[in-house]
Amino acid sequence: MNEKINYWKIFKNGIFSENPVFRLALSLCPAVAVTSGVKNGFLMGVAVLFVQTMSNITVSIIRNFIHPKVRIPSYIFIIAAWVTVTDLMMAAYARDVYKEMGLYIQLIVAFAIILSRLESFASKKNVLPSGVDGLGMGFGFLIALVLIGFVRELLGKGALWGYQFTPTKPLLIMILPTGGFFVMGLLMGFFNWINRRFFGGKASADVHMEAHRHGSH
Amino acid sequence: MREMLKIVISLFAIFVGAGLILSYVYAKTSTVIYNAQVREKEAALKKMSPEAEKINVAGKWLLYEKPNEYYEAKKGNKVISYIASTTGKGYSSYIKILVSTDPDLKIKAIDILSHSETPGLGDEIEKKDFKKQFEGKVLENIELLKVETKDKIQAISGATISSRAVTKGVKEAVKLLNEKYGKGLSKE
Repeated sequence: MNEKINYWKIFKNGIFSENPVFRLALSLCPAVAVTSGVKNGFLMGVAVLFVQTMSNITVSIIRNFIHPKVRIPSYIFIIAAWVTVTDLMMAAYARDVYKEMGLYIQLIVAFAIILSRLESFASKKNVLPSGVDGLGMGFGFLIALVLIGFVRELLGKGALWGYQFTPTKPLLIMILPTGGFFVMGLLMGFFNWINRRFFGGKASADVHMEAHRHGSH
Repeated sequence: MREMLKIVISLFAIFVGAGLILSYVYAKTSTVIYNAQVREKEAALKKMSPEAEKINVAGKWLLYEKPNEYYEAKKGNKVISYIASTTGKGYSSYIKILVSTDPDLKIKAIDILSHSETPGLGDEIEKKDFKKQFEGKVLENIELLKVETKDKIQAISGATISSRAVTKGVKEAVKLLNEKYGKGLSKE
């Protein structure tokens, strides 16, 4: 605890070197399901950002109280509580958004990235770094979803944030789940290429394995 | 044994703590949510018949085992419009629809309240161009075709199932209104 904690590094970690979608390859299912447009991707990203940060902080605060043998049920319950809070608040104060996103919000409980950060980071670190890690991971997820949504909506609908600017749909397949896989795969490859070419880093599959090994001890 | 007790206490405390927070949030938001839903329903009905002074529930009916209602929109003592909520069995969801007709049971407008059809394809049923096709149609003309048509309904390309679901739902609603208020039954 004596050495100074580099908060910026923790924050940046979630966006670049351990980006949940492009580098850790976690929570890919929602990354395909909700990214048919920039708006949905953005709103989902905001919800995940909130849940991840709050869950990280909660677990960090009570980490010494959580019994190690039941830590997974404890984490899941904490995540579920924050997701329900998000769900109720959106239903009450952001009706328009809720009508579009309501179905997906409850699924955040099962997002691998949130549980994995609680296990590998928040349960071992202090409140402040945990909160910053939650913010970083949340923003990383948000950026990934907005990027995928941007490409899919632009190519698939010829629109951005719901504003149509081509009369027809240029590449319809991009809107369908198939297109989601295409775009995600290509972006992931692109991120890996940048990382290899300019930073001499590892491919996301290696990072993925490492994160898992890290989490298991 | 002590270990077990510790586990139980730990889990129990977390559950109770989260439960307390949730009950507080629920108490704060539930009335807001309920009021918003009532307001949205009223606004949706009002949109179907803007001139009406009063819209009363006239009865309930079932379609695909989903509860629906129909309404009489009145101005003074005169019925100026019938409105029915109805259901369409779409590609990936049940589509909630409102249909309003004039006293002669000719469709005035339809509106899609909620659905979760495929984004980019099925969700085009929300578009004005599609909904507008229903205006002025009577029961016999509510039929879906895949070709260009003036007096029937033209399906959206790439979204035939969703288009058919809406058309069928609307047709069932108009059929019901015909049974209830159809010709021969003069109103006072």
